[in-house]
Amino acid sequence: MNEILREFIRFFTTLKLTVVLLILAIILVFLATLDQVTLGIWAVQEKWFRSFIVIHFFRGFPLPVFPGGYFIGGLLLINLVTTHLYRFKLSWKKSGIHITHAGLILLLVGELITGIFQREFQMRMDEGETKNYSESPREVELAIIDVSPADHDHVIVVPASRVAKSTPLQHPSLPFTLRTLTYYPNSHLGLRSQNPDLPPSGANRDIGTRLGAAPRPLTFKENERNLPTAIVELRSADGILGTWLLSPWLIEPQTFDYAGRTFRLAMRFVREYKPYNLTLEEFTHDRYPGTDIPKNFSSRVLLNDPREGGQREILVYMNNPLRHDGFTFYQAGFDNDDTTSILQVVTNPGWIIPYISCALLTLGLLVQFGIHLFAFARKRAALA
Amino acid sequence: MSSVIRSSFLLVGVLLALSGCRDQQPRSYLVPKEAAPTPNQAQPSEPSQSPPADIAADRAAMAGTTVPVATGNDLTWTAPSGWAEQPASGMRKGTLTLSGPEGTGDLSVTAFPDAVGGNLANVNRWRGQLGLNPISAAELRPLLMHIHVGPLHLDVIDIVGPRERMLVAIIPHAGATWFFRLLGPDALVGREKPTFMRFLQSIRPASDAS
Repeated sequence: MNEILREFIRFFTTLKLTVVLLILAIILVFLATLDQVTLGIWAVQEKWFRSFIVIHFFRGFPLPVFPGGYFIGGLLLINLVTTHLYRFKLSWKKSGIHITHAGLILLLVGELITGIFQREFQMRMDEGETKNYSESPREVELAIIDVSPADHDHVIVVPASRVAKSTPLQHPSLPFTLRTLTYYPNSHLGLRSQNPDLPPSGANRDIGTRLGAAPRPLTFKENERNLPTAIVELRSADGILGTWLLSPWLIEPQTFDYAGRTFRLAMRFVREYKPYNLTLEEFTHDRYPGTDIPKNFSSRVLLNDPREGGQREILVYMNNPLRHDGFTFYQAGFDNDDTTSILQVVTNPGWIIPYISCALLTLGLLVQFGIHLFAFARKRAALA
Repeated sequence: MSSVIRSSFLLVGVLLALSGCRDQQPRSYLVPKEAAPTPNQAQPSEPSQSPPADIAADRAAMAGTTVPVATGNDLTWTAPSGWAEQPASGMRKGTLTLSGPEGTGDLSVTAFPDAVGGNLANVNRWRGQLGLNPISAAELRPLLMHIHVGPLHLDVIDIVGPRERMLVAIIPHAGATWFFRLLGPDALVGREKPTFMRFLQSIRPASDAS
């Protein structure tokens, strides 16, 4: 065991490893930049940097092609920490280097924390509307909502990646199983009466009977989203209950009754419910006179958090977000002739770390250069 | 050294497995009761990716309980104060005129069967009328504003030419496409734009308005 540990330490405390990892990091950035031409920024981040191994699809076949950002960053972190523990000796002369390295370690850890814990959502509200949830801008889920209880709704959500699989899905609180017959990760929907070229969806319940669905190539553009369509079959002990077409294209959930309970089915952007709600009281959009160029846009919202025991009114505008319950609400956009406001809802427990690490890096460099400067000045004074 | 190679392989294996893992399990939670689906509610979606108007309209018709199915072929509207309503004539279903120090504006209401060539062809025709070059479908997308009025879905576009300006609302309704087109001097149309947008909110299917 000691031999393995010694090998481990020897391997991780070499400068060679640092150089190799830094070269790999440069190549990673280069390849990711090339890939950005086809993928767009957010997909590149997920594929190349927020992964351990970069998986690339060759003719639909997944192959690991390069170590990912977490892998290289993680090894750099181990390299830096072990080198500190086993190579560097604590001394005042080198305190600047220690502080700088501590800043670097913190920067790497901070990025890892951000990558794992940062979540981004949106909250779209019409004037007068109250909402207690935010929605993911891209991720989609299938929601089965049991609306039978008198005082609450029981929601069961399935991530789109699971819906894409055809193996039947069961949940203890549901009296039926769900199986996906067809799944298009991005799709086009249309009424067959007006789009006779669209193939029939295969659904035999609700709106799906009249719709045609066709797959569309996945989009990775920043201003577009993938809108999947799933044809799902519900089956119970009594037999098949029906097949439904579900897609975020559709405006409202589809309702059906079974076993004395009422269910709603919907494919929607992933929701995150909050223990408080926000009401958009007024949205204001000022433009520069005579133009359509936005000068300022702001949302007057009423925050109602029962845990605070009251309501309070907040004005959210550019550079003046609302911070509440670990989330930050930024004014992000507007729609519907200035009557709908879009707030970006972000949580990142590690937001402060880059600031601290940058401060440490600066301090470390100042200290180290300061020490050298004083030593040099003293030497010159002694010579004189 | 071989032990390092062995452990490296093990590490890579674990990381590969980790990168393949994603949380795919269903979750369940309770939420306060939400309102029953109302088919005429605006869809939460980006302007560039609103659901097709025909689906929205058909969905509204299918749910059927809160919004009556539009059986009539016509749309009704309420003229804003200060705009003079003229009798319908020829191809026009309605005409409104407005005037100001900048000149006079003309709002025409027309309806044609089916999609009448689609938004792109129509917008490029209007742009040509105003002396502007045609645009592509990709350029058109961000220019279209999507509004929901009752069960109707409106595509609205603002075209500013060198002298004149045009505001058009395109409304697919009951197998036809309706156009509410305001044309006039740039300054006048610009000033009246908020009134035009409010006016659009008054448009209803005839069967709904009764």
